[in-house]
Amino acid sequence: MVEAVQVQLKKGVLELCVLALLSHTDAYGYEIASRLATGIEMGEGTVYPLMRRMQTEGLVTTYLVESPTGPSRKYYRITDLGRTRFESQKTEWTAFSAAVDAILGEAS
Amino acid sequence: MNRQDFIDRFRRGLRGLPQSAMTESIADYETHFAEAMAAGRSESEVSAALGDPDRLAREVRAQIGLKRWDMERNPSAAANAIFAVLGLGAIDILILLPILMWIAGVIFAFALAAIALFCVGAVMMVVGPVVVHPPPMAALILAGLGLIGAGAFAGSVAGIGAILCTHALVWYGRLHLRILQPALEPQGQLS
Repeated sequence: MVEAVQVQLKKGVLELCVLALLSHTDAYGYEIASRLATGIEMGEGTVYPLMRRMQTEGLVTTYLVESPTGPSRKYYRITDLGRTRFESQKTEWTAFSAAVDAILGEAS
Repeated sequence: MNRQDFIDRFRRGLRGLPQSAMTESIADYETHFAEAMAAGRSESEVSAALGDPDRLAREVRAQIGLKRWDMERNPSAAANAIFAVLGLGAIDILILLPILMWIAGVIFAFALAAIALFCVGAVMMVVGPVVVHPPPMAALILAGLGLIGAGAFAGSVAGIGAILCTHALVWYGRLHLRILQPALEPQGQLS
């Protein structure tokens, strides 16, 4: 049960993290997956269904770039809609985590 | 698990989806393996880091189901979305199932009643005047029409109920796909 909650929690913030990452610079799938996996200990595989969903929702667009080492890389670029979503989610998250921190602080 | 095992299991999990969706999703992971191995990681290391291929396949399935329901509102898309969402969370089904069964039962009962009313009405209108002597024509025809109307009404109530139910399920599924977003937004602005 606890594990399931953790997975759901991480999944919820995953979109926020991807948007944050892309708001700095465009990135390709493997890059996003490995950066997030080391950052928040998620299975790297979860990133791909998420990227597809964000693409359908118009939060990101893609373009292909030839790679010197392997198959051509699909880069993701954040759209204006994506930026708007990022700002609002960021505000929500900051408020939410501040509230949780405050309660945890009281408890200890 | 090596690369081939991972891809095979993932592919098996996607069985039944449109070919294009399958190829696209599989290509995502094929590319991931290629990139990771170019970076010097081993196949087993990469597949362990990716996570459970069955679970990933369920996630892809649920997303495609929801997307289809957004585009085409028909019974097959509804069934698709429902099963895909159910496949996503094994724990919640235990809570959800009794409720679902109950709602499905009510809708089914409504549909049955609708059919029955409709048939009785039709029989009354068509056979009634022939069998009953002397035939109270007007009364029989009016009663028949009334029953047919009631049947049609019950039928549409069942239909609306089924649609609302699917909406609720889709909403519920979205909640699982991203808690942060829908939990804080009113239901109407979801997509």
